[in-house]
Amino acid sequence: MSLVRPRLTDFHNVPVTQDAVEFAIPFLDEDIPLYVDPFLLWKSPSMQDNSLHLSITNSFNHLGYLFNNGHQHDALETLIRASECDEVGLGVSKAKTGKRIGEKMGGSILEIFKNIPQLTKSGFTHFEEIQLLVDGFSRDRVSDIACNFIQSFLIDFTIEQCEKHGIPIEKTKLENVYDIKANKFKEEITDLPVNPITKKPLLLVPKRWLRSIPWINSDDYFKSFYSTNIHIDGAEFPERVKLLSFNRDNYDIVKTYTSIKEKQFEHCKQDPLFTQIPITSAKGKLNTITKLPTGKTDNADRKYEDNVCQLMSSLMYPHLDFAQEQSRTDSGVLIRDLIFYNNKSVDFLKEIYTDFNCKQIVIELKNVHEITREHIFQLNRYLNDQFGKFGIIITRNPPLKKILKNTIDLWSGQRRCILILDDSDLKMMTQVFETKQRLPIEIIKKKYAEFTRACPA
Amino acid sequence: MKTEDVYKFEKIQGQLQGLYNEIGTLSKKTPNDPLNKFKLKFINQILISANEFLDGKYKPFQGFEKFEDDELPTNSDVTIILEQYLTCLENFRTDNVSTKDSAYGWFWLVDGKASNLKTTTPNKLKFT
Repeated sequence: MSLVRPRLTDFHNVPVTQDAVEFAIPFLDEDIPLYVDPFLLWKSPSMQDNSLHLSITNSFNHLGYLFNNGHQHDALETLIRASECDEVGLGVSKAKTGKRIGEKMGGSILEIFKNIPQLTKSGFTHFEEIQLLVDGFSRDRVSDIACNFIQSFLIDFTIEQCEKHGIPIEKTKLENVYDIKANKFKEEITDLPVNPITKKPLLLVPKRWLRSIPWINSDDYFKSFYSTNIHIDGAEFPERVKLLSFNRDNYDIVKTYTSIKEKQFEHCKQDPLFTQIPITSAKGKLNTITKLPTGKTDNADRKYEDNVCQLMSSLMYPHLDFAQEQSRTDSGVLIRDLIFYNNKSVDFLKEIYTDFNCKQIVIELKNVHEITREHIFQLNRYLNDQFGKFGIIITRNPPLKKILKNTIDLWSGQRRCILILDDSDLKMMTQVFETKQRLPIEIIKKKYAEFTRACPA
Repeated sequence: MKTEDVYKFEKIQGQLQGLYNEIGTLSKKTPNDPLNKFKLKFINQILISANEFLDGKYKPFQGFEKFEDDELPTNSDVTIILEQYLTCLENFRTDNVSTKDSAYGWFWLVDGKASNLKTTTPNKLKFT
């Protein structure tokens, strides 16, 4: 069985929606495009998060201590080991493996412990500041270093969450677990979920720690602090490397920036893994859709598909998690469809999961005046073991009677269920999305109820 | 009709009238919006109680008992049905009330005889 854009939970048939769990559900073949922001741990009202932040900072400052007391080699080795954390699967990498930093980069990071007197004396409070001091130290490093230093906590969190949701775990070896007593990385054998494709261990990360950009970052420093407070009008902006060396020489300025950001902590919020479009924008999209001509005139099909895709993924949230928009060709025709994970979050979704073996829901988009038998067969051919025997076609006009008869016949013959939604259903879905009297997914449920009633007993 | 039936009937008729007024207002504003589950649950309860009185010739539509939850009835659907039920309840009342020789006004028929339970003039005899 192959799923489209498989996630850990779907692979193990654990039906949970992203909205309902505390952790970010990892994908099996790509990373989650968010990062752990240590600042979120610092500002969290939970003492546990605060102490984890403290432990990250202490462990990092210990590197400075080692470096300044003649253990340069140990410091460099620990820093390099800390610089990549593949187990959490955060970032933008497609292959789920990252590269550690080199010795040169490691060296220049450790140098600042020696060159900046304030750091030599008391170390960092927010080690994200390194982004403002060293060239090439990016946000994914911040996230990876933070994860590595608290890996022991993440292991416990992962085991707890796996037990709660019934995700299988097995014995596996972790290469990089930080021992806070010895201040060293070591190997550890423990029970964790593994990536079924690569057999590598996976760690779950609480979604309350995730942001797409760290709160303290160089772009924000430059835009909102440097250019308004430090920069002299009319003077030329320094290039990046010069700015960084200016920061190193004037660490107090960086400190001021950090303390301003600390005071603005209330604005620092986690980034959601999926954002619904606002109601007005949903109505706008619907308007665009209903005004589009059918067929391919002026790329109408393309526009139709783009708009429906955005509209549907928002309307179905949080009951169905959007997996992917994908294209395929069937007898020389390009077909675009939307794939959702079926998480059995509503009673009728449970029913189609058991009756039609539907693990992922395919929604096919057809910007045509009239749906024909060929369109039904195209989707039917596509409904194989991968998707189960349930599919939805979204088109412009209500289907003719003979086409509906056709879908009923498919049910009678092969026990397949194909629902057809049209503009009026999309309109109703948007309406209930706006008024909040009902859930948009109930419109699909209604269609399903109508379909089952029409089926021969 | 028994005395307790009269009380029950009056309660149901009052409740239905109240719902009709409320949903009617909603229906004028957004006729095509589906009614939410909460309201639908109570409307169905009252329709089921009304069905106890309205069997046979009084029933508004043969085959309609209550709204199906998964069919998402809209405000205007509900208004129409409520109006039909109100009319039929009024028909039922008209057939179960009468005047008395001994007193002025209209009274409920209990066990086939005019009782002391006062009621209003049937709508169709009212001067408008």
